[in-house]
Amino acid sequence: MSGNDINRRNFLKVMGWGGAGVALSGCDMPTTVTLEEGKETVVSYIMPEEYVIPGQGVYFASTCQQCSAGCGVHGRVREGRVLKLEGNTESPINTGKLCQMGQSGVQAHYNPDRIQKPMLRKGGALVEVTWEEAAAALADKTGKDSSLNGGRAAWLTGTVSGHQSVLLQAHLEALGSSRHYTHEVINNAVATQVNQDMFGEVQPTYHVTKAKVVLSFGADLVGTSMSPVHFSREHTKFRSAPRGVLIQVEPKMTLTGGNADLWIAAKPGSEGVLAMGIANELLAKHGLSGDALPGGLRDSIASYNTDKVVEITGVAKTKIVEVAKVLAERSPSLVLTGASTEAHEHGYQSVAAAMMLNVILGNIGKTITSSGEFPFPQLTAKRGDMKGLLAFAEHADKGEIDVAFFYGVNPVYTAPKFLNLEQKLDKIPFKVVLTQFYDETANRADLVLPLASALEDWGTHVPGYLPEDKIISMQQPLMEKLYKETHGLGDVLLSLLKMRKPEEYEGFADYYAFLREAFAAIPSDHKGGVGDEKFWMQALQFGVIPVNVAERSIKPTPIEADLPALKEDISYPFYLVPSAHLGLWDGRHANLPWLQEAPDQISKVVWGSWVEMHPKTAARLGVENGEFVRVESMQGSIEAPLYTHRGIHPNAVAVPLGQGHEEYGRYAKGRGVNPLKILNPVTDEKTGEPALYGTRVQVAKAPFDEKQKMVRFGGSETQVGRKLVASITADVFNRTEGA
Amino acid sequence: MKDINEDIKWAQINKDVLRSMENPRMGYWVAVATCIAMVGCAVLAEIWQYRYGMGYANLNWPHMWDLYIATFIFWIGMSHSGTLLSAILHIIHADWRKPIYRFAEAMTTFSLMTAGLFPLIHLGRLWNMYWVLPYVSDRGIWPNFRSPLVWDAFAIGTYLTSSALFLFIGMIPDLAICRDNARGWRKKLYIALSLGWRGDDRQWRNFRRTYLLMACFLIPLAVSVHSIVSSDFAMSIMPGWHITTFPPYFVAGALYSGCAAIITLFVLLRYFFRFEEYMTLSILEKTCKLTFAIAMVWTYLNLIEFASTWYGHDVAAKEVLLEKFYGPYAPYFWMMMFCGSVMPFALAFRKLRRHIPTMFVVSLFLNLGMWLERWMIVTPTLANAYHPIAFDTMWPSMIQWAIVFGSFGWFGLLFLVFVKVFPSVSMYEVKEMVYHRRTAAGKDPEVVLHHPHRRSDDEPEPSGGTPPPSGTPGLEGA
Amino acid sequence: MSLQNILTNWSQYRKGHEQGGFHDYEHMWGMAVDLNKCIGCNACSVACYAENNLGIVGKDRFEKGQGMHWMRIERYWDEPNLAPGVSEEFPSRGASFLPMMCQQCNAATCEPVCPVAATYHTPDGLNAQVYNRCIGSRYCSNNCPYRLRYFNFYSYYDWSWPEPLNMQLNPDLSVRDKGVMEKCTFCVQRIRVAKDTARREDRKVADGDVYPACVQTCPTDALVFGDMLDPESSVTKLWKAHQVELGKTKQHKDNEELRGYRIFEGLNTDPCVMYLERVREVEV
Repeated sequence: MSGNDINRRNFLKVMGWGGAGVALSGCDMPTTVTLEEGKETVVSYIMPEEYVIPGQGVYFASTCQQCSAGCGVHGRVREGRVLKLEGNTESPINTGKLCQMGQSGVQAHYNPDRIQKPMLRKGGALVEVTWEEAAAALADKTGKDSSLNGGRAAWLTGTVSGHQSVLLQAHLEALGSSRHYTHEVINNAVATQVNQDMFGEVQPTYHVTKAKVVLSFGADLVGTSMSPVHFSREHTKFRSAPRGVLIQVEPKMTLTGGNADLWIAAKPGSEGVLAMGIANELLAKHGLSGDALPGGLRDSIASYNTDKVVEITGVAKTKIVEVAKVLAERSPSLVLTGASTEAHEHGYQSVAAAMMLNVILGNIGKTITSSGEFPFPQLTAKRGDMKGLLAFAEHADKGEIDVAFFYGVNPVYTAPKFLNLEQKLDKIPFKVVLTQFYDETANRADLVLPLASALEDWGTHVPGYLPEDKIISMQQPLMEKLYKETHGLGDVLLSLLKMRKPEEYEGFADYYAFLREAFAAIPSDHKGGVGDEKFWMQALQFGVIPVNVAERSIKPTPIEADLPALKEDISYPFYLVPSAHLGLWDGRHANLPWLQEAPDQISKVVWGSWVEMHPKTAARLGVENGEFVRVESMQGSIEAPLYTHRGIHPNAVAVPLGQGHEEYGRYAKGRGVNPLKILNPVTDEKTGEPALYGTRVQVAKAPFDEKQKMVRFGGSETQVGRKLVASITADVFNRTEGA
Repeated sequence: MKDINEDIKWAQINKDVLRSMENPRMGYWVAVATCIAMVGCAVLAEIWQYRYGMGYANLNWPHMWDLYIATFIFWIGMSHSGTLLSAILHIIHADWRKPIYRFAEAMTTFSLMTAGLFPLIHLGRLWNMYWVLPYVSDRGIWPNFRSPLVWDAFAIGTYLTSSALFLFIGMIPDLAICRDNARGWRKKLYIALSLGWRGDDRQWRNFRRTYLLMACFLIPLAVSVHSIVSSDFAMSIMPGWHITTFPPYFVAGALYSGCAAIITLFVLLRYFFRFEEYMTLSILEKTCKLTFAIAMVWTYLNLIEFASTWYGHDVAAKEVLLEKFYGPYAPYFWMMMFCGSVMPFALAFRKLRRHIPTMFVVSLFLNLGMWLERWMIVTPTLANAYHPIAFDTMWPSMIQWAIVFGSFGWFGLLFLVFVKVFPSVSMYEVKEMVYHRRTAAGKDPEVVLHHPHRRSDDEPEPSGGTPPPSGTPGLEGA
Repeated sequence: MSLQNILTNWSQYRKGHEQGGFHDYEHMWGMAVDLNKCIGCNACSVACYAENNLGIVGKDRFEKGQGMHWMRIERYWDEPNLAPGVSEEFPSRGASFLPMMCQQCNAATCEPVCPVAATYHTPDGLNAQVYNRCIGSRYCSNNCPYRLRYFNFYSYYDWSWPEPLNMQLNPDLSVRDKGVMEKCTFCVQRIRVAKDTARREDRKVADGDVYPACVQTCPTDALVFGDMLDPESSVTKLWKAHQVELGKTKQHKDNEELRGYRIFEGLNTDPCVMYLERVREVEV
């Protein structure tokens, strides 16, 4: 099948061969104690449910849904309730480990602020209704007998993959629409575009472990970029002797920056110039070949002599020379980019310049290889980005959308103020929000459909970043649904489809039945020679389905980077860094108390927002740690307490993403500020992706706000001479522990 | 200047002291009401803390102890004065102690009763407090005898029992006087408490022996009690606590605060009960001199503590010391140094010593200094111990302040009840003192025995007031 | 600690742990923390919250310093070894992260001071806390140089787990009430399960049978856990490789460049957690 050009229609047809729905059986949840309507049915353990061993945890494999990295999880289930999530050892993404967001998946599941019943807007207010009533409203607005012009229906989703994505596309097709907008705040849209243009694929495989040097232009490898746990695993191998060198260039220290051997604060937006300067050093001083580069690019590199680069980037000359030297001497290396490089007006060019270093350094084919051809393109992740939201808003504004479905996004929260999204949403007559929580978007919905949690639902997922071993990750319910009137995404999609095309989909009793059919339809060469039933059971048991991928090789075509000069803005002297961190992510985890109480890795702030600033800048502005500052862009201002530390460029102020919710439950509501709101309408010129890091702001002291004051963990920023964290040089480490 | 007017008649002594126990004036009731209100604050605070948790006291990580323990040591310290005046001065025959030792002993007992509350109040699970005691349980569980807190429980228990006994024993002859002059419920109470005291030779002999024995027993006990309390800190490994000089330092501090408190109460009693005849300026001066000497010992021990820390190799302890000097608690530290080491120099001046209002104010400052000292022992170490991540400055909440405040009300209440139920000046010893002074002055000692207004011949001589008229009465009487 | 036991083993009790001490241990659970690998991501800490029913205290109480993080990640900006006294404009060698959990000291300073013996040493070499016995004098926490003991200042069950969050609570251990001290246990409930399983199968607990939640989830394998009496366990091998031994106040190493050290070793607490020094390339 992998060789064939299979489209979704064929795939569905293939699937359609199967018979009637399969009754729910096998690896289902123990029902010894049900929570239906608060009643507990006590069933004697003389005849226990399958897999229920009193007093003993049983582990079920599933997939983490806390971000799109798609880590495999093992849910510990005892007496019918899931207690803890642990990494799935079978998954090549995370090999048995899990980050703090993944751990907190249980709190998303047991969250006290989950929506338990559908809500329909009646006379201006959302009121709880039965699922039947909600379904009737849906059928009325979107069913095949409705007056809906299917082409005017749209889905706005976060990153989706697997069979949910297949069904979603099927629904759009049944509507006759092609309006699938995907939206993620934390994305690699610019980098993937550069990858596409340079390497011919959006996401090549990066071999951190094979590199001796990793030069990262803001790529928060062990944090928020791509796949946190996977790259943390890689980091460990990278750091064992002989130890790799990590050089991080970014305006604000990320978690990866905190672990760098050399952390360089370049002027925000000048990372591309720094890359050109390093390229110039490499070509001119270290005799590396630039033959693979087009002539124009070589000339342009030559124009970036080191002194000029020093002037533009503000990075010390010695550091540029050293970085070039270590890159030249230690091969192979790996150059990566992250949000702080990508999300500028000229982000595309900066990324192109950085990735060009990989070509000069001969890393292509060594540390950057093709991810191969995934045999089920219809299952791969549909990556979200910011421009998806922009397009959606524009089309909504033009009145092109009559019905909009929202899933996995909270655009009212994530949309910058300049987008004026709330007003544009009002132009959509019928908005259906599929969500677990009453968030800002649900607040403006016409119909809110309560979703089952990730631990109650079926699904398949293809991780956003796939390492060498490619997989489809399996999601299965770990316990019975907490609330009867919540449904999984797949089930909702199926019922939506049944409203449009009953003849094709009546055969599927539910999403489970659909999945069984879909699994049966997987060609046998992907099943490792086992039968359908066993294949299914294996998928449930191991949680991952290994996928064979056709090899491919990369032939890079370097792009000429045309880096514009940095503009100075006297009235808005600082760059706003809307930094993301492992924890609250883009704000979707702000309702999980564990993550609210887990200190930010760098600033150690809990339960609120803060502004990061270099102590020099703070001294100049006359503000001190803990005092409030107003960060003001042309679009508006936010006020938050100040945390000063040296891990930030003096020209930058960082405000973390995640807080500033107006809804979203007791733990999130009314806490902190949302830096996304004050973003300027600047976009990357080449890709059209909004430049999240391109907003210029001014900063002034603001009055103290008792309610939003900063609470940090830890009484001292230094070790005051105690031997707590002792450090040695890599030289000694390689000598004593080298292989 | 004489310690006491040796012309004072014995009957006058009885009359004056007994009068102080009668007819409480309006001011007394106001004082009682104030004390009850203060205790009420503390009780409310304690109920809140008991019900909702210690967190409301603003205790935190790392400030697991704070005002409760500091005030506990303060009250324990205050309890040492009574013993000192009573026992030590008794066996060295410093007879100027006689008019003032009774209330000092009462102070000992009551401050112990106050101090003993604090370890209980500060427990997270107050309802299990008896687990600290070694009682036989079927599960064979014992307290941890290695823990200084267990030693504390023993030490305080022993000290409280002993000093209460000492107070009581010393009062027996006076209780007999009270019995002979009392009516109604008081009569019944004193009959019971005076244990059939008739004042015969055998009783006096036994009494003297017991009293001397108790005094000898109490001196090492008192020293050990505060040494044990100091081992709460000295036995730990925390910088600023783990200090060898702590036991003597604590004992000196204890005597110091006790003496300061004696001065305070001396002034109050003298003023309110018009005890000018007994609590003379001369005795006040002697007390002040004693206090000054102890203050200097305390200052010296402070300085050697600083010096040994400064010249030692314990970096953490040095940093704690520097934090005391410069850190967030520095104002309190310097205030303690001022109150504890500078203020006592007021006691070095005769003019000031003899100025009662000044002495009253100074003694309050000395006590404030001693309370701050205890706070500055407990808190700066917790604020800056070994692990820098736990460096923290904490300010106690109203719950803590209310309980500390209330403890003064509690102490005051006990004392107020005491002065109206029991003689706060030892009648028989003052008589002894007058007798001896007269003898020494070459006057006829028998004159003072004379009753100015004898009611009738058949009424018995007030028994308590008749020590055998020999030089060392009672001991070789029979 | 019955009287008979004391009398029988008097000679052993009289030995300090430096002379071999009272050696009657079934296991000696220990850990090694590689600061070269630790990235400070906090996964261990949240895993600990999930496994050990740690209460969420909320912003105000966290500010007061009443948080319950048994496993905490500390972050320091200075690096005394690499750049003593230098304060650059930027922290060019990154930050220093330090995971701290109860060090399970063999000469634990918290143990002798507890008035009711609620904290004691188990035959597993663990420093155990008996919640039911604790009366909350908090002396142990005051005497812990690592400040690794956390006190239940409130009854967190009142509001830390509003329904249905309480369904997440691990039934293998209790939810502590107010007034009780608590701390990292090396996930003793998991150790008990592993020991029971091993006993049923008539064998000793093997290396890898049991991991505390933090070790299990650590994405970088920075934490290594095991039985230090088992010569084959990875933790024993690591300690040996770095020439760190229990029962010493100062380690005498053949090779001074080996990375192992124990925090506040000089205080003679004899912790069972060894740290391996953080590594930075200084040639760039």
